[in-house]
Parts: sequence; C-alpha cells; structure tokens
Amino acid sequence: MNTIKGYVRENGAVGVRNHVLILPLDDLSNSAAIGVSKLIRGTTVIPHPYGRLQFGRDLDLFFHILSGTGANPNVAGAIVIGIEENWANKVADEIAKTGKPVEVFPIEGNGDLRTIEKASRKALEMVQDASEKHRTEVDISSIVMSIKCGESDTTSGLASNPSVGVVVDKMVDQGATVMFGETSELTGAEDIVAEKMANDVLREKFMKIFKDYDNTIEREGADLLGSQPTQGNIKGGLSTIEEKALGNIQKLGHRKVNCVLDYLDPLNKGKEGTLCFVNTSSAAAEAVTLFAAKGSVVHLFTTGQGNIVGNPIIPVIKITANPKTAAQMAEHIDVDVSDLLDLKISLEEAGERVYQYMLRVLNGRLTRAEVLQHDEFSPIKLYISA
Amino acid sequence: MPKGLIHSKNDDVCVATTDVRKGEEVICAYLENPSSYILVKSEEDIPLGHKIALRDIKKGDKVLKYGRAIGEATKDIIKGEHVHVHNIKSLRWGK
Repeated sequence: MNTIKGYVRENGAVGVRNHVLILPLDDLSNSAAIGVSKLIRGTTVIPHPYGRLQFGRDLDLFFHILSGTGANPNVAGAIVIGIEENWANKVADEIAKTGKPVEVFPIEGNGDLRTIEKASRKALEMVQDASEKHRTEVDISSIVMSIKCGESDTTSGLASNPSVGVVVDKMVDQGATVMFGETSELTGAEDIVAEKMANDVLREKFMKIFKDYDNTIEREGADLLGSQPTQGNIKGGLSTIEEKALGNIQKLGHRKVNCVLDYLDPLNKGKEGTLCFVNTSSAAAEAVTLFAAKGSVVHLFTTGQGNIVGNPIIPVIKITANPKTAAQMAEHIDVDVSDLLDLKISLEEAGERVYQYMLRVLNGRLTRAEVLQHDEFSPIKLYISA
Repeated sequence: MPKGLIHSKNDDVCVATTDVRKGEEVICAYLENPSSYILVKSEEDIPLGHKIALRDIKKGDKVLKYGRAIGEATKDIIKGEHVHVHNIKSLRWGK
C-alpha cells in the first residue's frame, strides 16, 4: 500500500493543497473578494456569476457547491464575502462543520472598502496560520479523487482512458475513493455502466438519473446532435455519441460501482474502496467544480484534441494519447501516453506512468494547469433565476 | 509497425494511429492480440484518430466498434474508405 504526504484537516480528511479561500457568495461580491486577494498574498479567490435570486433545487445545489468548495480538504481556511449576511452565513456554517476557520464579511452596511479592509486583516492571519500546516505521511486510502475526459477523440478510448482505468482499479483496491460522472456522455453505454453497479438499488438510482436527463433533453425539444459529439470530438474522429460514450467508459476500470450520487447527495467516504457515479454535466469546468465540492482533492483529466481546464482548489492532471496534441499543446499536458498507440509500452506501463505522476502531484508537485493559473470555477445551474 | 488499431474482434473499423495517405497499405492490429492484424489499402487520406472500413458495409447496416453498434451506415461504404459523420449516424440522436 502506498502512502503520500498530505494535510490532515481538523475533521481527519486529507488534502493535498493548502488554500486560504476568498469565497464570494454572489456575483456582486466578486469585486470585494478580488480586492482582498490582491492585498493578501497566498489567498485563492473564486469569482463566479451566481448567488442572486436562485430558488428551489437550483439554490440548494448552489449552496451545496459553495459550501462543499470551502469544506474541501485542500482548503485550510475560508473567508465568505456576501452582499447580504444571511446567505453568506448559511454557506459559512456548513464550512465550519469541518472544524476549519471560516469568517463572514457582509457588504451591506459596510461598503466594499470597509469590507475589503476587515476581510483582509482576517485573511492575513489565516494565511500565516495556514503556512504552519505541514504535510504528514498518510495512507493513500484517505484520498478522494475524480476522473473526466474532455475534447475527446478516438485516442482517448484507445489509450488515455484505459490508462486511467488502470489507476482507478489500483486506487479502489487500496481503499481510496474515485468519482466519475458525465451523465450525457454515457448515452449509448449506459447499459454497460448499469451492469457495473454493485446492486439493484444503485442500478435503479443510476438509471433514474440517466432517464431524467434524457427526459430533460426531450422536454426541451432538443436533439443533442451537434453538441454531442462536439465539433472538437468530430475533428478528432469521433462520429457518434455511442462511439464517444464507449470510449469514455474505458476509464472506469474493472471494479464494481458501489455508490451513486445525485447532484445534492453528499459523499460519505468509507474505509473500503469506492467507485462512485456522480450526476454531473459533461462540461469540463462544471463537472470538475462539482467533484471538488463533493470532496475530490485531485482530478485525472484525459484529453484527445486538447482540453485545457483547471480548477482553483484541486490539481487537474492532464493526460493525452494524441501525439499531435502532446506536441502542439505541450504546456498543458502532464502525462503523454501516446507511445501506447504504437504498442511500444503496455497498458499496465501506461497506467503506472499516470499513477506515479499522480503520486508526485499528491505530494506537492504543481500541475501544468496550476502553473498556468487555469482556475475555472463553474457552479452548475439547473434553471433560470427568479 | 501497425498504423491502425482495432478494439474488438468483430469490429468493422480500424482507428488510424497516424496520418494515413491514400493508397497506403495499413496494418490494423487487434488491441486484444496485437500480433494478429488485418491489412487494408486506404482508399483516401485518413487523419490520425479517424476510422478506416475493414470490410464493405451496406447502407443501413450497423457499424461495430468496441464490439458494439456505434451507429448506422447512411450510404454504402467500401473497404478502405474513411468512416465518419458523412457516412454513419447515431442510432439515438439526429433521426
């Protein structure tokens, strides 16, 4: 069993990064949050366009994503800035349940400048405190990770996705937790995913989520042809959604899926290995944002034609098997497994290459997306605002 | 060295692992057993990642990859031709 060096948080969860988060509750608070981040070195700010006049399940999901992001084990402490105090408190209270420091600064009654000053003084303390947190040796079973592909092409299904599948098997066997999603991109292979479910209850829950998604598309009178596969997928040789989905599921590995989560379901990490389907959109930034909000601390992202997504709080490791992409977009690619296409290495060797690189990232090596400041934070929005 | 790979034994298509030029003899190796292969003469230029027909496919026939139907031929396709959105379509969407 492998060990890594991570940050053990107040609630025992293990992080691999040590962010002090400046979290705007709503779109109007982005300026003040960015103001704090400019004054205080070592803070991570995640501006976004939502948080006003949302309602129902959409609002619940928004709170789930914001509080989950703050609660993520890669975050040492969080500052929530909101125009109104009540909603900001709701998110902060959820984050506080992890035991980590969290503070709220409302803008109403203060204005931006006073808010920035107060929040910056607190952020200064949090950054200094976070700087004294040290990595300690922990079992790899404590890791929660996620996987997704983007700008896929046929090389994804041939090589990069099966390589990730090798890593998934290895992680689940060691007791770690792996999340996957992309509900729309399972179309044509949903029966294979359903067969991988550990029992009938999970199978029914998964198929209900899948059919609800299908019904949403139908209700809109839409045909996803043109969106799925995307133009990038088609350029890379993928012809149909079925072909894309069959390539997509190559990264799931060979273990049973023993957990199914709808948008709002929390992940309860157990001691046993867990492979978990999470209802997500297939948009790269949205899916990675939701995985991080559910507790993923590292993401394996395979790409064919060259998706460049990153995330502000979790490292996103980019893997390709397309030799042209590896050469043309080298600054984005962490692991190149294109020699698998020439049969120069075995699938097991390619998987081991990805796994060893992931261990380095878990231990602190920055990914290319982190160095390039690819900090995409995109909460999923379910419907229009009130 | 193979210039194409085939996922499963009954598949109708091979994926080019390098840019293939018209008239080239392409070795398409089986992923499951790379020492066995099908030799196919390319009828047109096929870019890396795109599919080559391993046999003649009739209009309306299902096209197999990963041992599964990935779509239906919208016209007759001959062995060695480029198989893509111009001659196959999804069984789900785009009806």
